[in-house]
Amino acid sequence: MRCRGKKGVAVQYATALFLILVLNFFLPRMMPGDPFLILSADSENEVISVLTEEQRQYFISYYGLDRPVYEQFASYIFSVARGDLGESIYYKVPVWEAIWTRLPWTALIVLGATLMSTVAGVLLGLFSARRRDSPADKMLIVGLISFAEIPSFLLGLVILLAFSVKLKAFPLAGAITPFAHYSHPFDALWDIGYHAVLPIITLSLTQLTGIYLLTRNTLVTVMTRDYIRTARAKGIGERLVWTRHALRNALLPVVTRVGFMIGMLMGGAVLVENVFSYPGVGSLLRSSVIARDYPLIQGIMLVMAFSILTVNYLVEIVYERLDPRTSSCEAV
Amino acid sequence: MAEAVCEAWRQEKEASFKAAQKAAKMAGFRAIKADLNIVSKNEETLRGLLAAALDSICDSIGRFSPAGKMGIAGLLLIVFIAVFAPFVTFYDPSAISGMSLEPPGPDHILGTDELGMDIWSQICYGTRMSLVIGLAVAMISGVGGGFLGLMAGYMGGNWDKVLLRTIDITMALPSFPLLIVIAAFLNPSILNVILVLVFLSWAKPARVVRSQALAMKKQQYIISARLYGAGPVYIIRRHIMPEALPLIFVSILNISSYAIVAESGLAFLGLGDPTSKSWGMMLHYATSFRSIYFTPYWQWWLMPPLIALIFLLLCLAFIGRDMERIVDPRLRSRGGQ
Repeated sequence: MRCRGKKGVAVQYATALFLILVLNFFLPRMMPGDPFLILSADSENEVISVLTEEQRQYFISYYGLDRPVYEQFASYIFSVARGDLGESIYYKVPVWEAIWTRLPWTALIVLGATLMSTVAGVLLGLFSARRRDSPADKMLIVGLISFAEIPSFLLGLVILLAFSVKLKAFPLAGAITPFAHYSHPFDALWDIGYHAVLPIITLSLTQLTGIYLLTRNTLVTVMTRDYIRTARAKGIGERLVWTRHALRNALLPVVTRVGFMIGMLMGGAVLVENVFSYPGVGSLLRSSVIARDYPLIQGIMLVMAFSILTVNYLVEIVYERLDPRTSSCEAV
Repeated sequence: MAEAVCEAWRQEKEASFKAAQKAAKMAGFRAIKADLNIVSKNEETLRGLLAAALDSICDSIGRFSPAGKMGIAGLLLIVFIAVFAPFVTFYDPSAISGMSLEPPGPDHILGTDELGMDIWSQICYGTRMSLVIGLAVAMISGVGGGFLGLMAGYMGGNWDKVLLRTIDITMALPSFPLLIVIAAFLNPSILNVILVLVFLSWAKPARVVRSQALAMKKQQYIISARLYGAGPVYIIRRHIMPEALPLIFVSILNISSYAIVAESGLAFLGLGDPTSKSWGMMLHYATSFRSIYFTPYWQWWLMPPLIALIFLLLCLAFIGRDMERIVDPRLRSRGGQ
């Protein structure tokens, strides 16, 4: 662990966010051409009306493009801070609204995958550590490590081909059955869960290994400590020693790992959603890429980057609270 | 009055101190220059360095596990296919050489795609794309980042502080969203993809090598070498480089699989270079094909690039894991793998 104060961490994340905003602001301005070229040519109706110089000037000053760059940048920052991300060209709605309607689906699979990979990873880690160096332990390690090397969208394609296309056990696409009428709210929940299972399994398989290895290795180290020997000497039984004494102390690094995992899962969800045609932010991104809907692409990027940065920042702060050792400065 | 005198005295002292510092710095620079001269005069240096690197690589391959050896064999096979792509295929990858969506048969080993292009040819030529992107990104950011880390770690001072801050900020950037937005705005040529990936991945090798250099600088034998009058370039080349090279090599392997995944992911989203044949673009076209899962086409259109990508990544991963194990003996005693 390197020594960084609370302030240093805050400055680091703030700078990263600022860099992203700068990039978001300058990227469109670095592209060739200007926005009024497209306004002056309407290819669909074969009407090609060239803007007169006067009209061009009017538009440029109307959109504030004649103001100095720093002024434009400041107004951009203010509008982003107010939550105004612009207007989607393709969907003709505010960008924020387009993202907002898709966000719950992404949140569902990301949180589902976080929960599933944490629980499964810790349990498997416990299982493996108790049977250290047995054939089951070795097989688990080799199998899970190989899974972790396959990126989520390729794994997702394999799972989709196996379970939905070949076995026809799970739906191919979507988050709910189209045109379905539910007689009971429980049916609706069942339907949503049924559609979300494969994306959640895919996402969690990629992160499971990290949690599993971390739990297993920390448990193995913790079990050599003196207090474990003391607990055993008290005669409280092997089960309690593992759960109450060992697992509790091994969970601390897992907490950080889970936090950082959420950020990685959000990145992975973008691709996995497209594999399963799941209607979250990721598939919105793909359709906006195909439609070249630049304001929407930028908005999605900004929302994702902001949430990843926020989660990671919170994790660092929380971790410092949980483990005071990290805040004490060691020599670099 | 007394205060003024005091102030003057302090300033004078500071000035003399600074001059001494400057002189020391100048001496340091001169030492580097002299050292560089010796290095450049000694022609065998580069060859010697390369030979040493090759030796260490060969030595570590001997200690590979069976999985690692399989990985190397697989990687060699892939490199072979990439280099000799025109000799192992029968058609040009972007020539329409058959009917649309032909199943695998004697004419087309793996069938044809929607436009009647041979899929085996596309796979073979796509190998080049993946390997070039992986290798280029990994070499530039591994060697460049490693060099920056080495310099910063060894020289210390303000450069080190600046580099450390930059590394921290770069590592905090969420890479995938950034990658998407930059690729969407720049035109998606191979060069742009490589540059963006380098920008996002140089920080890790820099950090690893920096801490290694920092730790080694305090070692007894390096201090004694310096006291015997060895210049910084000599020490870095003779003592620190051999220790840092394996670390750089491991991060080159890791970065190359990261780059391959990122490129195919971008292409899968539709942000790849439309004129190029790559595995990611094949996945993109196949999954964009309407109702492909209700037809048998996925069996010969979607499966080959999928299997090829997974195969390449697993090979790289097996090699990387063995390298890591050999480079870092601590891992073995940690009770883990």
